Amino acid sequence: MTRAPAVEAHGLALGYGGEPALEGVDFEAAPGAALCVLGPNGGGKTTLFRALLGELQPLAGRVRVAGRPAYLAQTERTRLDFPVSALDVALMGSLADGRWWRPPGRSQRHAALAALGRVGLEGQASVRFGELSGGQRQRVLLARALTQDAAVLLLDEPFAGVDPASAERITAVFTELRAEGRTLLVSTHDVESARLFDLVLCLNRRQVAFGTPAQRLGREVLETTYGSDIVVLEGSGDTAVRAITVQHHEH
Amino acid sequence: MPTLATVRLGENDSRYAPGVDPGTVPSPLDLLDLPLTRTALAELTLLAICGGLLGAFVVLRGLAFFAHAVGTATFPAVVVADATGFSATLAGLSAAAAYACGVERAGRSVRDPGDSATGLLLVAALGGGILLASDVFESGAAVDRLLFGTAIGLNGADLALSGAAAALALAATILFGRTWAAVGFDSDAAGALGLPVRRADVLLLGSVALAAVAALPAVGALLVSSLFVVPAAVARLFARDVPALLLGSVAIAACLAVLGLYLSLWLDVPPGPAVAVLGAAAYGMCALLTGLRASTRTPAAGTSW
Ligand SMILES: Nc1ncnc2c1ncn2[C@@H]1O[C@H](COP(=O)(O)OP(=O)(O)O)[C@@H](O)[C@H]1O
Ligand SMILES: [Mg+2]
Repeated sequence: MTRAPAVEAHGLALGYGGEPALEGVDFEAAPGAALCVLGPNGGGKTTLFRALLGELQPLAGRVRVAGRPAYLAQTERTRLDFPVSALDVALMGSLADGRWWRPPGRSQRHAALAALGRVGLEGQASVRFGELSGGQRQRVLLARALTQDAAVLLLDEPFAGVDPASAERITAVFTELRAEGRTLLVSTHDVESARLFDLVLCLNRRQVAFGTPAQRLGREVLETTYGSDIVVLEGSGDTAVRAITVQHHEH
Repeated sequence: MPTLATVRLGENDSRYAPGVDPGTVPSPLDLLDLPLTRTALAELTLLAICGGLLGAFVVLRGLAFFAHAVGTATFPAVVVADATGFSATLAGLSAAAAYACGVERAGRSVRDPGDSATGLLLVAALGGGILLASDVFESGAAVDRLLFGTAIGLNGADLALSGAAAALALAATILFGRTWAAVGFDSDAAGALGLPVRRADVLLLGSVALAAVAALPAVGALLVSSLFVVPAAVARLFARDVPALLLGSVAIAACLAVLGLYLSLWLDVPPGPAVAVLGAAAYGMCALLTGLRASTRTPAAGTSW
């Protein structure tokens, strides 16, 4: 007997009117799995997450997520001049319990403080969000997702533009979350970090491959996923390769 | 020296405060002596509560331009109402509601309801209103009352509407405050948290529209934002969190309203401009102060904190 997947998509096509931005998506992630969504900029990673959040209706096929996922957005849309402390932001995660009209209770404060502790910012709880460094802000936003206490977490390029210390801390939190049996979907365009996951889903406007990194991250898949954006450094055929991607930044 | 209570009604009476010789300095306590000024004081206090609370969220949500425009949008409607004897409140409410619906319908992120569209509407509403008032209805002196408000023409119905608006603002702040703050901070994430983002936006636009109409008699169509934007903008210079912003905004709105009313009676000007000028002065002073404080603070070079 197998448990129902925590996240699944079947025959999924997504778009914004006009040509589909992403199609042919078919995958399942079991509860507790860590799945890397790999692809170049414009490959459709964020688009897939928006569908998993229910913000984008599929053009075809279907998606299903067990429960309301916690979400760490790719581009920070927050306002730096906003009068909130790190703790205030972490507390926003508790609004996801559906009782948004209630003032935060003691247990919610505890949860938010604990979440800040997990990302290594217990000492910064009362610091204004806008006064934190970029990496610290990313960790506070991760704490907000942790406060939400969701079974599934969607993290869109969580390491982009983050300092090494913050990146290390975020990686440590991911390990803890997996140990707790939560399902993680993490998007990145960095091939090397994808190897650490249970599963990898390669997207380039369509699904290129889905499976374990050892199975899938070969030269052929990488070249299809990245096209001319990739430089394969070593290895050949289906054996593991080392590769770096040439990043094109979105504006 | 004559006071509000003792001067007789006579040929020297001011246009905005009967019983006051223009130019005499009334004692602040006189505000409490006359029923007329007591009503005005109560009205402005209620509006300060309402404007302070909603203004805080208006500023957090980036709706300052909307708050200003919704007041101005009512101007042609209240000119027509004034001239035809129709209820100015109902006319104002319809115009404000229509405008708020238009902004909501425009479907964009509320943070940016289309600057040029809003600017166009402001010009059309003001121009149209003035044209109606001067050429069609020949309203004459009523125009500056409709645009800038009055301290003396206020009655129980005005008080009741402002009371209702203040009560609604308070209730909405208690129930929706956290949601409004979360949406203002990061509306995408608020949606992912399952918050009723759209309902919260509609409620905020609607409350501001209602409150702006409640403020029309006292501060006029043009200067509604003196109570709905300026106090919160001043408080924002200091406030470190949302509760502090709310309290500061209400306190500053109340000070501006009472001082503005006093100034209006003393200098024989309508309350709207008096409150607006005081607010602008307060903002300028506080911005200067916080600017000085920030520049004298030694920059934390190289530290990441
Ligand atoms: N809001 C949008 N409207 C129209 N097209 C969009 C929108 N968001 C993304 N796209 C398009 O969809 C494609 C996939 O984008 P995205 O999912 O953001 O890629 P990734 O996150 O992998 O960089 C791109 O071609 C992009 O231009
Ligand atoms: Mg993306």
